[in-house]
Amino acid sequence: MVLTSKQRFVTIWLLWWPKYFRGGRTLKLATRRPNSSGSTLLEITRDSSHGHKTVPGRAGRRYLYQRTVRRGHPMSWVTIVWSMNAAACLTLAGMHVVVWGKGRAARANLVFAVMAVAVAALAAFELALMWAKTPGQFGMTVRWMHVPGWVIVASLVAFVRLYMRAGRRWLAWTVVGVRTLSLVLNFVFSPNINYREISGLRHISFLGQSVSVAVDVTNPWTLVPEFSLLLLVIFVTDAAITVWRRRDRQALVVGGAIVLFVVLGSAQSILITWGIISMPMTVSLFYYGIVAAMACELSYGVIRAAALTRQLEVSEADLRETRERMELAANAAELAVWMWDILLDDVWITDKGRTLFGFDSSEKLNRDRFLSSMHPDDRELVLKAVENSLCTGAEYESEYRLVLPNGQLRWMTGRGHVEFNRNGQPVRMRGASLDITKRKQAEEQFRLVVEAAPSAMIIVNTEAHITLVNTQAEAVFGYSRGELIGYPIEMLVPERFRSHHIGYRRSYFDDAQARPMGAGRELFGLRKDGSEVPIEIGLNPIQTSEGLFVLASIIDISERKQAELEAARRRNEMAHLSRVTTLGELSGSLAHELNRPLGAILSNAQAAQRILANGDADLPEIREILDDIVSEDKHAAEVLRRLRLWLKKGEVQQRPVRTNKVVQDVLKLIRTDLISQNVTVATELARNLPTVTGDPVQLQQVLVNLVVNACDAMADCNIPERQLLICTGIENGGGAVIVSVTDRGGSIPQEQMEQIFEPFFTTKEKGMGLGLSVCRTIIAAHRGKLWATNNPDRGATFHFTLPIAASERKRVINEKLITDRR
Amino acid sequence: MTTTPDPTVFVVDDYAPGRRSILRLLRAAGLSVAAFASAKEFLAHYDPKAPGCLVLDLAMPALSGLELQSILAEKGSLLPIIFLTAHGDISKSVQAMKRGASDFFTKPVNDEDLLAAVRVAIEKDRGLRREQDELIVVRARLAMLTPREREVLEYVIAGRLNKEIAGDLGTVEQTVKVHRARVMQKMRVRSVAELVRLMQRCGIGGTVP
Repeated sequence: MVLTSKQRFVTIWLLWWPKYFRGGRTLKLATRRPNSSGSTLLEITRDSSHGHKTVPGRAGRRYLYQRTVRRGHPMSWVTIVWSMNAAACLTLAGMHVVVWGKGRAARANLVFAVMAVAVAALAAFELALMWAKTPGQFGMTVRWMHVPGWVIVASLVAFVRLYMRAGRRWLAWTVVGVRTLSLVLNFVFSPNINYREISGLRHISFLGQSVSVAVDVTNPWTLVPEFSLLLLVIFVTDAAITVWRRRDRQALVVGGAIVLFVVLGSAQSILITWGIISMPMTVSLFYYGIVAAMACELSYGVIRAAALTRQLEVSEADLRETRERMELAANAAELAVWMWDILLDDVWITDKGRTLFGFDSSEKLNRDRFLSSMHPDDRELVLKAVENSLCTGAEYESEYRLVLPNGQLRWMTGRGHVEFNRNGQPVRMRGASLDITKRKQAEEQFRLVVEAAPSAMIIVNTEAHITLVNTQAEAVFGYSRGELIGYPIEMLVPERFRSHHIGYRRSYFDDAQARPMGAGRELFGLRKDGSEVPIEIGLNPIQTSEGLFVLASIIDISERKQAELEAARRRNEMAHLSRVTTLGELSGSLAHELNRPLGAILSNAQAAQRILANGDADLPEIREILDDIVSEDKHAAEVLRRLRLWLKKGEVQQRPVRTNKVVQDVLKLIRTDLISQNVTVATELARNLPTVTGDPVQLQQVLVNLVVNACDAMADCNIPERQLLICTGIENGGGAVIVSVTDRGGSIPQEQMEQIFEPFFTTKEKGMGLGLSVCRTIIAAHRGKLWATNNPDRGATFHFTLPIAASERKRVINEKLITDRR
Repeated sequence: MTTTPDPTVFVVDDYAPGRRSILRLLRAAGLSVAAFASAKEFLAHYDPKAPGCLVLDLAMPALSGLELQSILAEKGSLLPIIFLTAHGDISKSVQAMKRGASDFFTKPVNDEDLLAAVRVAIEKDRGLRREQDELIVVRARLAMLTPREREVLEYVIAGRLNKEIAGDLGTVEQTVKVHRARVMQKMRVRSVAELVRLMQRCGIGGTVP
């Protein structure tokens, strides 16, 4: 006999199954033939050369393939396959019922299970159909087959709709409706809707077995179920297209499979019914394909679900860990994390939060409970902030004090975020609150320090607005706090300095350092009453999270200035006193300088009288005499003027002074004394000496003092040795004029070099010893220096410097005037 | 007496206006004057024979009044000095007077006072010069005495009797008498007392106790 290809395939497969073909074992394959008690045996022998041969079978009982059948009924391929089909369907159905049982929402699984069971039933019916012995049996079987058929159609439609979420609703209902109609009609007609009558059964060979096939007349009503199948095809195709459009690849596979198998199954059943082909119904096989596809699909779902579950577990583990970490961090940072369910007015807060707020660990919390824990003065503000967030969705921000059960105060800051539902209603607010007591305490301390500072403190921001003042600042400027805070700092600067101050301020902010302000300048502040107050300002930059601020410490120096003025006045008095006494020491000068012109005047006048009395008046001579009288009178007046100036206690002048002129004036003043003491004076005065700023009388006083001292020092010398040298020049640095008075008297003992400048130090019998100390004060007031050196050969030199007026300094540098110093 | 030139008042003062004013004053009083701006200048023109007096300022550069006074004294000058200074220093004035100044004034000086002092000084100067002249004459006469006569002169002014002189000199009284007469004649004196006075004035004698 000729093996069908199916048989051949199976054979070859079995051939290679090593277990059965070790060394020449014979495999016997039996096929049943319908209506025959015999069986066709197929002998296959394997020999060492891997060949096989077939031996035509003989009727009669032979070996049966013991592996597949133990005893009883001979099994055929048809039975095997259909049974396997049914078993698989039932297994799958069972699995998916369980899945559905786990989560009732998996309705697709339930529908699938139902369909699988129906397919199994269909398979069973088909088997029965194939083994039908009588037409009546056949007809009845076909009739009952419609039941699982209906179930399959309905469940398929349901599955497509549930799982693939596709397919037009009306079409689905139509399919089910038509199928229902066909089912009803099926039980109306006899034997069934497919066949008008079944006259007999034929046996054809199918899978090596003889199966029954109807000899029949087709019932025209079979169009109804066939129409339903057609609709089913359309419905499924449409669903598949929808899925394809949706680009849901997975569902498309299932959909495609469903379409394919439905088409095949429907085609086959139609063809068989209309007698176009002659084979048994194998529709169940096609539907099994669908079942398999669906099962695969759903299994993927199961696998995915398992994967998702694993992921979920992992996520949950992560979430737990994250939550734990967050709690840990929040606790460490004194942070209380909370969530307020607005609709239920229930607040959840971390345990740390409960501690911070002073709640019990098990207390139920709501908004009012929170508010009640706050300081009464702060409740209003917090409530407003909350309301604002709820209305506008803005972030919630507030600062408030808590009153703890033990009465302690705690500063908190809260931040939160509101969540809204689809209708725009606030449903939740999540946030955190932080204990900022320490920060507030630090701020408070800072504020106290600033308050307590003895000098006025003003803090200014980058926009030059005052942000903080202390009481002392209020006192110095005469404003109250409220009149200062928020206003520009320039309101405290006198108008004439304002524009400069703005520029200065900008440059300071660019390079902010801690330093005093206005070095070398006199600074003034403007009081509320319009008066000005002399001040000293120190600037300190403060960098905060809100930006750069500048702290200005301001000291009212009017008292100090007053004291300085007082000191200056005393100095002047001293200088004056010294001048007066010096004049007393200059025994020659006054009398001499005045008496000479006075003597000349008197003699001239008396001469004139005599001349006139003689009678030989010579007019030109008289004129000469009168001229002389007048000029001598002016001379005397000049001397008196200088004397008056010398003796005046007047204001210290700050005038440009020519140093050389001072030297010359002094020499004029004390000329007599120098002569009477037989002292010769030599001068080396630098030319074009720049001017200095100071009081000419006081400077003359210093020089007179030095010259007198020098003369006294040389009193014991021989007359030719009494030589005095006065030099003027520019100090090496170019910044000052230097004057030196050199004598050839005794040297100053080294230990007395500084002592001589002390008040009441004198080595002379007469004199109070004030001269040099007053000189030092005067020179110091002129910002110069006075000191003494011993000459290498004999005598001493006194030097003093006077700073060159600023306007002159450039000229000096330009002309490079530096004279040699002796 | 030889005819001497008119006495001149010499004015030395470094202060020009003052000098001029004194000059005018003295001139107006009819005196001859000569002015010098410094002591050095005066010394350069100094003529011991010129009669007159010196009006001198104290405080002058280079050579002061007092220094000039010393120099003139060293030179043996008879010129009376009147100091006229603007500076009334007591110690200096005392010094000046001690050294023989004629007078000491402080400026401003009244013309009467100054002129009176000048006249006195001129008179003094005249007197001094007369004395000086006289002294020259006397010395000339003395020079004409023989040594023996000189010796006799000495004893005579000592007040010795002729007899004693004879005994001291180892000669006879008559010789002494003769010598005595010749001395009297040569010296042009009429009495011993005059001779004594003359000798005293001239500063001669006294060698015999």
